[in-house]
Amino acid sequence: MFYTGDVKLLIVEDDRSLSRSINDYLRLEGHICEIALTYNDATQKASVNKYDCIILDIGLPDGNGLDLIREMKANKLTGGILILSAKSSLDDKLVGLKIGADDYLTKPFHFAELSARLNSIFRRNNFLGLNEITFNEIRINTEDNQVYVNDKLLVLTKKEYDLLLFFMANRNRIITKESIVEHLWGDNVILTDSFDFVYTHVKNLRKKIVAAEGRNYIKCIYGFGYKFNEN
Amino acid sequence: MVMIAGAALLYLTIKKVIYKQVDDSLRTEKAIIADQLKQTDSIPDFEATFGHQIGVKLLNYHVINYQSIKDTDIYDAVSDSFIPFRYIYAKGNTVEKKGYVITIYQAINEKNELLKDISLYLFFLFSSLLLISILINYLISKNLWKPFYDSVRIAGRFNIQSDKPLDLPETDIVEFNQLNEVFDSMTRKMRDDYLNLKEFSENASHEIQTPLAVIQSKTDLLMQQKGLNRESINLVRSINEATARLYKLNQGLLLISKIENQVFHEKKKISLKQIVETGLNNYREITQLKNIKVEMEADNDAYTEMNEVLAEVLISNLLSNAVRFNIDGGFIKCHIDNKFLTLTNTGSPITTKPEDLFRRFHKNSENPQSVGLGLSIVKKITDSYGMIITYNYHDTIHELKLMYHQ
Repeated sequence: MFYTGDVKLLIVEDDRSLSRSINDYLRLEGHICEIALTYNDATQKASVNKYDCIILDIGLPDGNGLDLIREMKANKLTGGILILSAKSSLDDKLVGLKIGADDYLTKPFHFAELSARLNSIFRRNNFLGLNEITFNEIRINTEDNQVYVNDKLLVLTKKEYDLLLFFMANRNRIITKESIVEHLWGDNVILTDSFDFVYTHVKNLRKKIVAAEGRNYIKCIYGFGYKFNEN
Repeated sequence: MVMIAGAALLYLTIKKVIYKQVDDSLRTEKAIIADQLKQTDSIPDFEATFGHQIGVKLLNYHVINYQSIKDTDIYDAVSDSFIPFRYIYAKGNTVEKKGYVITIYQAINEKNELLKDISLYLFFLFSSLLLISILINYLISKNLWKPFYDSVRIAGRFNIQSDKPLDLPETDIVEFNQLNEVFDSMTRKMRDDYLNLKEFSENASHEIQTPLAVIQSKTDLLMQQKGLNRESINLVRSINEATARLYKLNQGLLLISKIENQVFHEKKKISLKQIVETGLNNYREITQLKNIKVEMEADNDAYTEMNEVLAEVLISNLLSNAVRFNIDGGFIKCHIDNKFLTLTNTGSPITTKPEDLFRRFHKNSENPQSVGLGLSIVKKITDSYGMIITYNYHDTIHELKLMYHQ
């Protein structure tokens, strides 16, 4: 993560195994997480504590996650909301976004994608007042989508810029090629040789950063994909 | 048939009765004359009654008794025509053993006319009776069977996918009510089963998503662990790939079941040119990398009525195939006129039969990664809109032709 300070998250998901996984992963990222397994549990926790973002499953055993959003908005509770749903139905998505959710993620998902979405929510909600990401010699202005390396403007294509942000959101984590494909193209584009494109884009991005006298942070990880390494 | 046979029988019977009567009167007359002859030995006085011609001849010799009645036609100068006659020819002997010959002719044209009149009259009577009975029968059955035909019509229109159950109207006839009840309960059960099945397949697809998410999350966590050896990495990667496949498969099946359940029923006017152009744009990076030349030739006014999401899925799946199975330096040509959308592309030759390509889970041996649902989704969509899609190939040129409705 590129935010200093603690980010507090509430994971509302009735599947114990999944909620624990999300918890484990986000803790690795340095977040503070709490888990609510039921709708009632979630409303209680949300009314007592202040969360920066709630990761919310819609289909809960004792209630509909959409109602929780309505309740939160009625009580003027701040914080982002990321809907997590097994239902890929367009209706749920539209309703969810309309009543105040920030984003929508369909199960199953890659953790790298979850991180990227959370980061984007934090940025959009201007969490900690940041619209600039600085990492060593790399500086990204997320307002006007500009990237600077050693204060020199780096000209990137749209895909390369998205890729860099994706890496930034998942620093020191292994990201699979599959998750990059899904992040850049969405899962509607079915491509068997899409890994070649990932390779091309990663290669070009790395080349551009190195050309601007930046360090080579992107490491290829055998069998999995890539890792944006701080060291 | 029965009527004709009956009429013929009646005609013959009447004819027989008339003949019998004529013959009887001829015989009686002959008997009277013969009687007089025997008594008087001379030709008696007789008045020729109307229509009768009597001839009596006395002979000087003995004859053998003989008598016959026959038909004949005799020329009549007045009417200039032959008139049918019945005549009796009889030979006999008087007391004094002298022979005589009696011939009596009786015209039967009037009798025949009578026969004709009676027949005609009867014919009309029977015909009108028949017509009236048919009419009455028709009217009765029409009213009586109306509820039955109503039920048949409603049941014929029954569609298991419709949102309304089969509601057959109440009738005054107990038997039909029973039939309708059976119909109603049968279709209700069918609909319930269908809805259950529909719900089940949608639920199953949805419920599979969460365990899939669990597997995905666990492998993601596993991947981040330090000190994995090559073997473990390969294992995790295999799990990852299988999970991704399962996810794609589930999405595909869910989409097919949604098309079948007519979830995408909203239609709008779709510009084919625009939708293909957007689709090609999505694939531009790949076509560029593969050096595939893309050509597009389209009528601006090529429109069709369909659901927007399905139109996008349809075109995207077709283009994805054209891109995926293309060769380096190949081409994709898209031609749209007001009836056909034709997609021609280069690609490696295939060995399967064209019609098999649209089957569910059909797989190209060269591409084990594919789930095998792409073209069957295409088929489902085209079928649901009554479009016709055909596939042709010649060596390395593949052609998909979609006939759509304006």
